[in-house]
Amino acid sequence: MEKSLATLDEGTICSSWNYCGQRLATGSRDGTLAIFDPSNPGSSSSSSSFSRTSKNKVSETSIIKVVWIPPECGDAVACISSDGILSLWEETAEDGQPPQWKLCKRFESRSSNILDAQFAISGSNLKMAAAFSDGHVKIFELFDSLELMNWQLQAELQNVIDSVSKFGNASCVSASISWSQQRGEGQHLSFAVGFNSNVPALNSSKVWEFDPAHQRWLPVAELALAEDEGDHVYGVAWAPNIGRPYEIISVATHKGISIWHLGSAPDLDGRLSVEKAALLNGLEGEVWQMEWDISGMTLATAGGDGTIRLWQSNLNGVWHQQAAFEPTP
Amino acid sequence: MPGRVSDPGETSIVPVSPKPLEPVNVPIRHGLTPPISRVAISWSNGNSLRVSFFRQPSSTSNTEEVGGKVVEVKLSDGDGEIDDAKWRRIAYGSATPFALLQNRKNLSQLPMASSQHHRFEWWEHVMEFSRGINSLLGDPLASVDSIIEDPRMVVEKVEKPTNLKAAWELMEIFYADKRSQAWLPERLVDWLTVIDYDILLSGSCETVHSKLLDFQTDLDNIQVVEDSPKYWEVISSALAVGWLEIVVKLLHLHGSYQLDQLGNRETENGLVEAIAVLISKMPRLRPEMLAGKLGECCQTKPDFAKAWERWRAQLTKLDCSAYWVQCDHRQTREGLRHMLQIMLGNANSLNDATCHWIELYVSHLLYIRPFTAGLESMNSLAQKCIDMKPISSPHKLMGLLTGILSESTEVVLGECSRAFGPWMVCHAIELLSAGSNQAEVLLHEEPYNLGGISIEVLQRLAYAQVLSSHELTWQIAPIYLASCMKQGMGLLEILLYKQPVQHKQLLLKNIEICRLYELDSISSNIMKVAGVHHWKHGRKGPGVFWLQQACDEVRLNRISQHLFDFVGKSISDESFKQWDRLIELLGSETRIAGGLEFLHKYRDFKRSLQHVIDAKTPDAARQAVESLILLMKNPSTPQRFWLPLLHDSLKLLNWEERPLLNVSQTTLLLNKLQELSMARLRPDFVESDLPPQALSAVRLALAMNLGRAILEE
Repeated sequence: MEKSLATLDEGTICSSWNYCGQRLATGSRDGTLAIFDPSNPGSSSSSSSFSRTSKNKVSETSIIKVVWIPPECGDAVACISSDGILSLWEETAEDGQPPQWKLCKRFESRSSNILDAQFAISGSNLKMAAAFSDGHVKIFELFDSLELMNWQLQAELQNVIDSVSKFGNASCVSASISWSQQRGEGQHLSFAVGFNSNVPALNSSKVWEFDPAHQRWLPVAELALAEDEGDHVYGVAWAPNIGRPYEIISVATHKGISIWHLGSAPDLDGRLSVEKAALLNGLEGEVWQMEWDISGMTLATAGGDGTIRLWQSNLNGVWHQQAAFEPTP
Repeated sequence: MPGRVSDPGETSIVPVSPKPLEPVNVPIRHGLTPPISRVAISWSNGNSLRVSFFRQPSSTSNTEEVGGKVVEVKLSDGDGEIDDAKWRRIAYGSATPFALLQNRKNLSQLPMASSQHHRFEWWEHVMEFSRGINSLLGDPLASVDSIIEDPRMVVEKVEKPTNLKAAWELMEIFYADKRSQAWLPERLVDWLTVIDYDILLSGSCETVHSKLLDFQTDLDNIQVVEDSPKYWEVISSALAVGWLEIVVKLLHLHGSYQLDQLGNRETENGLVEAIAVLISKMPRLRPEMLAGKLGECCQTKPDFAKAWERWRAQLTKLDCSAYWVQCDHRQTREGLRHMLQIMLGNANSLNDATCHWIELYVSHLLYIRPFTAGLESMNSLAQKCIDMKPISSPHKLMGLLTGILSESTEVVLGECSRAFGPWMVCHAIELLSAGSNQAEVLLHEEPYNLGGISIEVLQRLAYAQVLSSHELTWQIAPIYLASCMKQGMGLLEILLYKQPVQHKQLLLKNIEICRLYELDSISSNIMKVAGVHHWKHGRKGPGVFWLQQACDEVRLNRISQHLFDFVGKSISDESFKQWDRLIELLGSETRIAGGLEFLHKYRDFKRSLQHVIDAKTPDAARQAVESLILLMKNPSTPQRFWLPLLHDSLKLLNWEERPLLNVSQTTLLLNKLQELSMARLRPDFVESDLPPQALSAVRLALAMNLGRAILEE
């Protein structure tokens, strides 16, 4: 039932598919970014085999994450390297010339490393939320919708609900950001972010929403029960919503994966109601990745035991593991 | 998304079961030498999952090794009974009946249409749908009995109908076909007759059909059939399950029918013939007899009751007849009397003659409880038969049948999904909801903890996702998604957004689907993505075209800014041709790209200037001056172009024969020059790439022109 799509180069440690599953970007230990395209570009077949079409050295250190930017802004990937630098590479071509990958922008900070970055389109603006190792989240906005060079820092925030407390010397190992997939114009831009750090208050996942009236980001919900607040967060994933009255966000910690329902109507303090709908057990080790399918009804996870699991809710709203895929040679 | 893991165990991952199931464990082969250091996952189209495996680099070996593999796992592979091409035919074929039924459903909900609509009962529409689907699943089911006029050919091997078709027919009998409600047992007997009993086999279990096939093989070697115990055993079994034609045919093989023996075995033959006649006169409660079938048809219950009594009386009379004593052939005597017991409904005889519980069930419906009506009593009888002939791993059709008989919508859905997959559930729901109000309520309620999504919608989405995981079927997914206004359209938007834009054919198809379902914002988004892709890959023309189609004002304005830069930098005549085409393409619709208006005027000016250089006529020069003045007056002309424009026009300003600009025109240009000098002081001023003496050259030319113009006036 499985079909081989591509063979990766030695040293490859991360990969990412673009919006339509037609291009694969991989990053490797030696800082090489490789791009794979369908071996038979003439056919529109989505599942032919893929072969490498370009290879660029993008970093002196290992690439730890590759993220495609939304297709509205072109074919570009953000590479986060282990030295905490994010470099934005784009494929462009001049008239009649073969396309080439070029560096558009490097994001780096002297005092902290970038741990994760995710992109979202709001109106015709591209935004990037980046989580730093000092526990800060920065929101950048692209100036020019046709060029990926010029970015502006729109906001900087610390992942705490209470804006008064500040933490000077936080040290984060990893972070995870997930944007809500907006539908319709009226919806506010929001994202969830969680940290794996030495400061318990920073760790728990919070939902941030943009308040257009005051042009600022506000924490609107915290996705942790009182007893779990300091838990290290390995990942957050915001499920697509095709018509639910509430949002679903999954959060992975060492206790398992919790499924959160996030209400849509704010209370007097501007907070959204949250409900922990399930805690998915049965995983061994750290959760590496959580991916929602396009309907937002099946969650695929990959973790330390190497097993890929599918989770679903049954007709009574009870979440359970539906399938497990065991890698075999 | 809900889909199906094919193998092993064919367990569905569609969440229809109220109870959590044990997770399915599936090995996934990557072909790499361990150890694997990490895996990465990504959903592809529909419900295909792509998994990247990264291998731990080995420190010992220096040779270049494979660093990882990417594999795709389709969660909706078929179960092997029906191949992919056939599945696609079924998928395409069932979309039309489905869409038609939805259409009718929508129409019937309109208040105006109701009177006209009620000329048809709703179930008739559902039946039409069901027949449409059924015809896709294979040829009409052929009966197991012989069609060849070979007297010794008792039973013929026919092509097996698919389980899927048998399941669909079962659903149709119980839920869609309202006419069959009065004679469900007979419908069930018919269904069991025509589906090959072989397919009910689980493991090596014997069935009546397999017995018949075995006997058929032996028949050639048997000289005197009535001496063989197997002959009588097979006849009894066939009689028990109601295969009357086969029984009569078998009886006619009896040696007493042979001409040379008729004289000696008159009584024996009379008894055989009497049984054969009684069999062919068996009353059946059903609207009609199928062609070639034996039995007497009774359409109403009272008629049937009378005929049944009469027939039973004849059986009893024969059973008590004195002729049995005169019959010398022991096997015949015992065999025939056993047959009488079967027809009289002797439970032990029925039990002995049948193998599978379903056969026992049919025999009970035929001979003991022909009046059984209502699912409740049919169910209790089925349970009794299952208890008497238990089976370790029931066939999937049996699971479906018991689910139907137990009147549990959840179980039926679960069985459909588990055994036959998302296609079956999605379409069978139409039959189910037509079948009972209770099912309809269950299928349409929108529980909050499921996100306000009904089972019906959930199943359609699940099926649509299966369709969209294949490039040949994704185009029919919108039909199913559009039938769910709320969630379906949401999924459709995501699905369309995730289609690649590079292939023109696919892009046009996408846009067409958007137009059909009025998804304007998605459509413009798709065109935007296409436009940016082309623009950035050096195909400026298609880039601009698609951005214009998308009415992407922001990006088009940026593009005209790019062009300004280009124009501002290089106004040599060679490069003129390049951007001339682009400006042409950008069109004159200033509404969507304000800056483009300037580019058009600029192009006109450049053309007339070219004309001046070529023709050197005063008329051409005057025309060029008009263009220049228009450009300089126009507020949309960017300030940074003023000086390049004037510099380009030096030839006009210094026209030898006579001053081409009058006093007011010259003053206007001088004022612009003054304004430009003031603007230079501002920090955001963009300096043009002209030579340093350009400004003074222009100023001098203007001053001279002014002087000459004053003199002339």
